[in-house]
This record gives sequence, structure tokens and C-alpha cells, in this order.
Amino acid sequence: MGPLIINDIITQNTNFFLAFLIGIGFGFVLESSGFSSSRKLAGMFYGYDTVVLKVFFTAAIVAMLGLLFMSLFNWIDLDMVYVNPTYLWSTIIGGAIMGAGFITGGFCPGTSFCGASIGKIDAMFFIGGMFLGIIIFAEAYPLLEPFYKGSFKGTPTLPHALGLKDGVVVLGIIIVAMGMFWVGEWAEKKFPREEY
Amino acid sequence: MKPRLYLALIIIPLGLILAAVPANTTHPYKLSPQDLLEYVNSGMQYFSPDEVAHMLVSKDPSLVLIDVRSEDEYEKFHLPGAINIPLSSMLEDQWKDYINQDLRYNVFYSNGTVNANQAWMLTRQLGYQNNYVLQGGLNYWVETIMNPTAPPSTSPDEEIAKYDFRKGAGQALGGGAVVESSSQPAPALPKIAPRPKKKRVEGGC
Repeated sequence: MGPLIINDIITQNTNFFLAFLIGIGFGFVLESSGFSSSRKLAGMFYGYDTVVLKVFFTAAIVAMLGLLFMSLFNWIDLDMVYVNPTYLWSTIIGGAIMGAGFITGGFCPGTSFCGASIGKIDAMFFIGGMFLGIIIFAEAYPLLEPFYKGSFKGTPTLPHALGLKDGVVVLGIIIVAMGMFWVGEWAEKKFPREEY
Repeated sequence: MKPRLYLALIIIPLGLILAAVPANTTHPYKLSPQDLLEYVNSGMQYFSPDEVAHMLVSKDPSLVLIDVRSEDEYEKFHLPGAINIPLSSMLEDQWKDYINQDLRYNVFYSNGTVNANQAWMLTRQLGYQNNYVLQGGLNYWVETIMNPTAPPSTSPDEEIAKYDFRKGAGQALGGGAVVESSSQPAPALPKIAPRPKKKRVEGGC
């Protein structure tokens, strides 16, 4: 039956409405689990708090399991699910810039809005900086375009690249994630910080 | 430590199940017969010969003519710039990037419209967009573009203008000698990486 929009089971407007509700829920949970604190987020880079890693990998695992099981029950056609296209170098450089902004600003784009919504000034400055970056990028776009659109790789996925079955890759990622969680908890004990 | 242990105890077996079962390769997406009938009745899948001729004359890069007849027939005569994807081999992997794309208008044609319509139905069933059919096929093309009949001189101006356009387009596209075989091969299209149909802004963190 799914994806719901492509198969016209729900309209684009219903989709926006659902996205609105899910977005509010997402922001609420982010805030209530402390993601509006830049110190908590930056802890990922220093090792005293690895909740970011744990949360996002748990989300990825749950989504992977959900999608594959739904595909197994014929609820969704995985071929129709949107896969972000890969532009190799712009992804690498963009990731590095995003990481640098994350560690200096203490927020990632989503959590900065969480922080701003509860009145954090630093989060508001972060949002200002984000818009500044967007404006600079947009103005410099003609210069950046060849790089931005260069080294297009289509939509590769891990199972495809490794030549493995989806399920095997998912199991592998689960095991790797469990290992990373364990290392994360170890780092939290190794580099504890009293108050943050 | 307890809740984490429970979480791992749930997630790891689920992963094991997924690793063990064969992947589901069926595609539940199907066009319902009702939808298809509605679409066919509306005639929205057709490009008229005049539209195609106009795009050909103006060298519109968004037009891709696809000849679904056999290779022999294609060799004998084909529309300028057309590529040959015989109906019998339509589902081969090598053509997938041509018929499943969202950049250009693919216009199928055959001698009549039956084969082209069959090709269109196939792509429609697969959920591919941007595929169309040349109205009336090659026969009608020859009749209207290559050898247009002059309307009576009492016809309205639009008819005369249409005739003039057809005559001009016919000449530009090698009219008159219809069975002239163009020996040069059709230009190979650059490979288009297939893109999914709907693009939405994706959320990061």
C-alpha cells in the first residue's frame, strides 16, 4: 500500500498536516530529553555525554527495522521510498562544515530551533548564523555549482554497495551500533564532567 | 543497565529475523483498472503530430522519440532523432534509465497506435512518469505532416495556418520522399540516473 503519498492514499495536504504533527512531537521529545542544551550536544565531541550518538543510532535502527518489516508484510514498496542522491565531495565538505558548526555552536539545525523555542539566546544566535550561511551559499551558488553538483553517484545504498541482502546489513549495523553504544558509555565514565 | 539489556534483547533478534528471511521483491504498487480506464478515456497520454513536429523543428531537447517497432522497421525509416526500443525488449535493464526518468517527454510511436499504447500501458503499470504516445502513429504522421492536404480556400484562417505549418514542418523534417532512409544512427542520449518521482525536503537532525 505505501508509500502513502505516491500511491495517492493521502493527499499532499494531509501529508503536510501529518508532517506538522510529527514535527511538533519530534521537537517536544528533543526538548524534553535535553537536546536543547548545547553543552549536552557538544558532550558528544568531548566524550562526557554521548546521548546524541545513542539517540540517532537508535532512531536509525528502529526506522530500518520498521521499513524492512513493513516491506516484508507488503505494506510498503521500498523501491518507491525516496533515497537522498549522493554528490560525493559536496557531501564530505558539507559534513565537515556542519560538524565544525555543531562543535563551535553547540547545536545542530533542528535542536537550535528547540533551544530557541524555550528562549535560549545562544540558540537564536545560532539560527541567525545559519541564515547568514544560507545567504552566503545562495549568493555564491554560481561559483559553487560545479562543485556542488559534481561527483554525482546516484542513490547508492549500503546493501547495494556491499552486495549483501538488506536484512544482513541491518543486522550488521545493529551490532556495530551496540558496539558504539558500549564505547560511548565507556567514554562517559572515562571523561566525566560534573556539571553541564 | 537493565532497560538497555531488554532493548538489545528485542532489537538483535529482530535483526536476526530480517537477516534470515528472503528479501521481499514483489511490488505492491499497481495501477487500478479504474484509474487506467479513466486515464485512457481522457486521452491525456497523446501527443499530437503537430506538437511533436513543432518540438522537432524547434529542436526542443526535452523531447525523446522512442520507436517501439522492430529494429528492421526502425532501420528502414524512423523519425529524426528517434531511438529504437522494440516493444519486445522494453523491460530489459538497458532501457530502464530511458523510460523511467523525470526530465524529458518520452513519446512512443509505432505504425499505428496499438504497439505504442501497449508500451505506454507497460510503463504506466510500472509507475513511470513522462511517457506519452504519438497520436495516430506513423501512418497519421505521414498523412498530416509529410503529405498534408490543402484545406479548401474557404477554410478559416486557423486551418490555413495549420496547413502552412504542416507543409513547412514536413519539408524541414524530410517530407515528400517519405520512405527516405536516414542512415545516420540516432544520437545516443546521455545516461540519466533514475530519480525518484517525488522530491521532498528531507529532515536532518
